[in-house]
Amino acid sequence: MSVERRIRPMRGRFQIDVLSEGELEQVHRATLAVLERVGVQITSERILRELAAAGAGVDLETSRARFPSTMVEEAIALAPSSYVLAARDPALDLAIGAGNGYLSLDGCAAEIVDLDTGRRRPPTKDDLVQATRLADAVDEVANLWPCVAVTDVPPHVQAVHQTHAQLASSTKHVTAMSTFSSRDARAVVEMARVVAGGDEALRARPILSSFQCSISPLSYEGDVMEAAVEFANAGLPCGFVAMAIGTATAPTTLAGHLVSVNAELLAGIVTLETLVPGAATYYGPYQAFMDLQSGGINLAWGPEEVLFKLAAAQLARRYEVPMNILGFGTGAKSQDWQAGAQHAIALMGVAVAGEADMIAATGTVYGSRVFAFENVVLDAELFDLVCHMLESVSVSDEDLALEVIEAVGPGGHFLSQAHTRAHMRELWMPRFFGRDTWEDWEAAGRPDPRDRARERLRQILTEHEPEPLDADVERELLHIIDVHERESEGAKHG
Amino acid sequence: MDEKIAALREAFYALDDQAAVRTTTELIEGGADPQVVLQTGLAEAMLEIGRRWNAGDMFLPEVVAAADIFQRCNSIVEPALIAAGGKTLGHRVVMATVKGDLHDLGKNMVGAMLKTVGFEVHDLGKDVPTDRIIEAVKEVEPTIVGLSSLLTTTVPEQRNVIRALEENGLRRSVKVMVGGAPVTQEWAEEIGADGFAPNAPEAVELALRLAGSERPPGR
Repeated sequence: MSVERRIRPMRGRFQIDVLSEGELEQVHRATLAVLERVGVQITSERILRELAAAGAGVDLETSRARFPSTMVEEAIALAPSSYVLAARDPALDLAIGAGNGYLSLDGCAAEIVDLDTGRRRPPTKDDLVQATRLADAVDEVANLWPCVAVTDVPPHVQAVHQTHAQLASSTKHVTAMSTFSSRDARAVVEMARVVAGGDEALRARPILSSFQCSISPLSYEGDVMEAAVEFANAGLPCGFVAMAIGTATAPTTLAGHLVSVNAELLAGIVTLETLVPGAATYYGPYQAFMDLQSGGINLAWGPEEVLFKLAAAQLARRYEVPMNILGFGTGAKSQDWQAGAQHAIALMGVAVAGEADMIAATGTVYGSRVFAFENVVLDAELFDLVCHMLESVSVSDEDLALEVIEAVGPGGHFLSQAHTRAHMRELWMPRFFGRDTWEDWEAAGRPDPRDRARERLRQILTEHEPEPLDADVERELLHIIDVHERESEGAKHG
Repeated sequence: MDEKIAALREAFYALDDQAAVRTTTELIEGGADPQVVLQTGLAEAMLEIGRRWNAGDMFLPEVVAAADIFQRCNSIVEPALIAAGGKTLGHRVVMATVKGDLHDLGKNMVGAMLKTVGFEVHDLGKDVPTDRIIEAVKEVEPTIVGLSSLLTTTVPEQRNVIRALEENGLRRSVKVMVGGAPVTQEWAEEIGADGFAPNAPEAVELALRLAGSERPPGR
């Protein structure tokens, strides 16, 4: 039986502005002041020289670039507000900036919960293959990040092995991570070219994109920024993500946190647009807060997270740059009450944040450190629920059902009405939320949603076979990995 | 004729009431054995619909719609069945929403669906005093008494009805099934009922079990 391949996007229609127009401008102006007076550190002489030539104030001694406001405003205007993240299967292309919110896997979890033992351990390349196969079969997951860090290969070749696992295990759009140098980026781009069918084909249909992270506060590693430029020069979108921790690597106050993160992200975007004008990029403010006792990330985050998300979405709208928003995130150790509450609150935040083009990041718990397979299908169910909520308000004559109400009259029931049968399948039906009676639940051994999720994912992992790559494409990818391994090894020792 | 009966069942699965009524009429007017039409057409279709409901492939409003179609078709088959001296209906059921409770949707659904598998249903309505239930049991001599209540305040009436059956020496001659939102298996056991079902389709299975038949009675 062939199943129609499709992506389930969130189509937002609610928008809550937590900042007034005036407050939004205050944040923007404060950001411009930071970029002009404080600037950011970018440890790449090549990039700093190009920024200086374009009008930035550059101090090579301290690797500092300060951006005049006009340069910032002009560069942001060059960033496209819409583009396509293509997929190996064109039916799974993602139209960014068209009102769709696409869910991605989480990225590079340091550990995975073993499906058989239930214990956490370092992830392998095969884990990434299995997780990607799983995501390939889940309609809600649109964009494949490497959801676990591949730790059974040397760190300097992690990026190419991850990209290989992703490209070979799904026909969905691939987001590359761990490209920490232009050498990494070139190898990953080369792999994407092989799969897409050459440089031109890849430019026309970018089946792979990437993003780079700032080091908060206000820094970018030079190699990382050079990798971003490498992707952009190959015609591949490259976003910027900030993972500042309020109180530690960003101010404690919400407004100050926003300004600092906004400055980091705009610095990345301005740099990219200056070096590669018109490059497709995105704005990814991932909020985190410090645990005041331990100094680690606050795993019990609450209201600050949602407020930050909504305020940051207003900034992305102001700049007309596609946004990548954090849709999932929990400090829980498994998909328990805490995870359910934090996920639901965060996703509801996304639902009322207006249009969010990319929604990260499903699959992990414990502050994004630990991936578990069942999280993917459970998170997808919550995502589907929220999507449904956003889609379901309709008030046509047919929906108002006046004739049906009249036909049934007082004291009757609507069960046998044709109208009921015509519309009942519009109602949301869960896969994993428990809807059995207490008796049935006890008879089944008191299962919880995670048990049903594990059953489902085992079924997918047993049955689902993603469209494989051609054998010669596969051979070429392995060759690129091989060459990259040898060159990186040489570079390391040379 | 087999093809036509298959078409009748298909009309049920498609919930096409017009096609079902038309096919039933054609079968009966064409001289088909009404017993065969009832058993292999109408009842078999309802059993299959019950199976599909159980598997999650059909929803309750569809089952209720099918029950409505069953009743319309059965009203065509029944006169022919009686005229032919055939066996019409099997076990009788007396059902009621107990005293003090005006909620009868659940009981009505169970009643409608019991009819579809061949039970003769005597529905006493809602807010029914215990005396009336006892009278009806004496008069109808049912196999099963079904008691429904939605409210926690009226659920104790179910126990009162069972006691009254005992006091009138009727308890051994009937099976009592109870239902309603606050009712549980534990409650059913506590008050000495013979069975409980959490929803209408399972109530039908329970009734068939209590009547000592996994298949529609009258076969």
